[in-house]
Amino acid sequence: MDLFLQTLVNGLIQSGTYALASSGLALAVGVLHIVNFAHGEFLMVGAFTAYWLSLLVGVDPLVSLVPAGALLFVASGGIYRFSVRHVLLAPELNALLLTFGIAITLQNLAVLAFGATPRVVHTAYQITTLSLGPISVGVAPLITLVVSVAVLSGMYAVLYRTGVGKSIRAVAQNRTGAYLVGLDVDRIYLLTFGLASALAAVAGAMVLVRIGASPHMGFAFVLKAFAIIVMAGLGNLTGVLWASLILATGEAFVRTYVPGGGGWAEAVFFLLIFGTLVWRSWRQA
Amino acid sequence: MRWIALAGLGAALLVPWMPAGGYQQYVVQVATFVLINAAVALAWDIQARTGQLSLAPAAFFGLGAYAYTMAALRGVPLWLAFALGPVASAAVSLVLGVITLRLQGLYFAIATLAFAEVVKVIFKELPVDLTGGAVGLTAPPLLGGHQTGLYYLGLAVLLVTIGASLAVRQTRLHYAFTAIRQGELTARVLGVRVVQVKLFAFVLSAFLIGLVGAYATSRLFFVIPDDTFGIGISVSALATAIFGGVYTTAGPVLGALILRTLEEGLHIVLRQGYLVVYGVILMVVILYLPGGLVGLLTRRRGRDAAAGD
Repeated sequence: MDLFLQTLVNGLIQSGTYALASSGLALAVGVLHIVNFAHGEFLMVGAFTAYWLSLLVGVDPLVSLVPAGALLFVASGGIYRFSVRHVLLAPELNALLLTFGIAITLQNLAVLAFGATPRVVHTAYQITTLSLGPISVGVAPLITLVVSVAVLSGMYAVLYRTGVGKSIRAVAQNRTGAYLVGLDVDRIYLLTFGLASALAAVAGAMVLVRIGASPHMGFAFVLKAFAIIVMAGLGNLTGVLWASLILATGEAFVRTYVPGGGGWAEAVFFLLIFGTLVWRSWRQA
Repeated sequence: MRWIALAGLGAALLVPWMPAGGYQQYVVQVATFVLINAAVALAWDIQARTGQLSLAPAAFFGLGAYAYTMAALRGVPLWLAFALGPVASAAVSLVLGVITLRLQGLYFAIATLAFAEVVKVIFKELPVDLTGGAVGLTAPPLLGGHQTGLYYLGLAVLLVTIGASLAVRQTRLHYAFTAIRQGELTARVLGVRVVQVKLFAFVLSAFLIGLVGAYATSRLFFVIPDDTFGIGISVSALATAIFGGVYTTAGPVLGALILRTLEEGLHIVLRQGYLVVYGVILMVVILYLPGGLVGLLTRRRGRDAAAGD
């Protein structure tokens, strides 16, 4: 029973990071209607930004999520302006290939710049754990959960309680309609893309604290994020939270209970993406 | 165009005899990799003509490679094991094709990507004595490892793939493929047997990729899940085809020639991270050069007859 509860808690905590990583992607997909393959690489850049800031300036990685987010907001704005914007009206495969190209470029630039070996940070709270009865929770994962919840709540607040958020939702619902009522759709796209990428960067800073940063980390995350948003239904932001929870706990249970489970846990996500997509496609008959 | 192709073939036939001093082996090796890349890109292109963006080439390449290796290691005669590669890939692709029939565009791409990753994990996690686990298996070389012989075998494989690509282009299949790509519903209404054609394209493509995969083990000497099923294979296939000119036959070949040589050149300078070229090229081509190299060349000559669509 203890193992069960511990696994459950582990999954719960991990879901925070997944939710953060996928919400950004859900936002990009839901609003811009393009699949941003480079999302995982934005996460990676965020992680490395936090890493270098903590190494060179001594800023705690969790604090440096703010500059990491800001950096990605600006940088992705540039990426949007100079490339993504041009494929928005083209067949969606073009956008997919373009963001794929961006992802490969970023990933390999990181390999060139930082080398392929993973980097880790060392903070005081990384090894401390709290004990809640029979369950132990690391302080670092707990903090990342709290931060994730805070950031996500902030995002929801912006989306559902501000004028800008309303504009974003309007564009997501109907782009032409948004044009007709006078919204500057291009600026909203820019803003949303930036926001989504900033969220990825924040998630990256968190992964840095819990695991570390490596140039290849982005790929695994973008696929997991896809699994989550596909399960939630594209464009469904609240569904992302549920899906993250389910997938994170599922992964935790596979890791714990399936012998040699570590490797198979990877397959869980991909099987889920595959299964959900196929099942939905046949159901719509 | 014909004579360029013949000249190219002549040059390709002569590669092992070209004087390159101490670098002879290396030149043949690079040329072989060009052949492999071109063949996979061509096979991907065949399937892309139906409008489906598949990211599963890695899976079929790996299946071909593993089928050959696993069979050969169990005593199956090499030529039979070699034939087993494409057959295994084709069989799996048939199943995959049927399952994903109703997926369009983006979702199809993601589903095939997920499939490829699942296959990779399966081969990594299965018992070591079955598939070699994460460390992989050593593959017995075809033709006893004779370099020049292997090169010509690779050339033969590429020619088979070119033949398939041309055959699809010259027959009525071309119209079926294009119709499906441009509008599946309309194609169906017009009487195109969409399901059969899509499956045919998918299976043919997988068969060819599996063939290349089985062949490639002779070049790479071992199969290992992370590389043999690596997404790099799918990425380079589609980047090569798009760069060279998608939906054409010359495009992927030309693209492979340029990209692989570039990659080898870069590889000497940058030991890792040379894939960045593929990324940049993909971006540049999508934004500025949708017809790829072939599109650029035909535009210069003032639109000759072979314009696809």
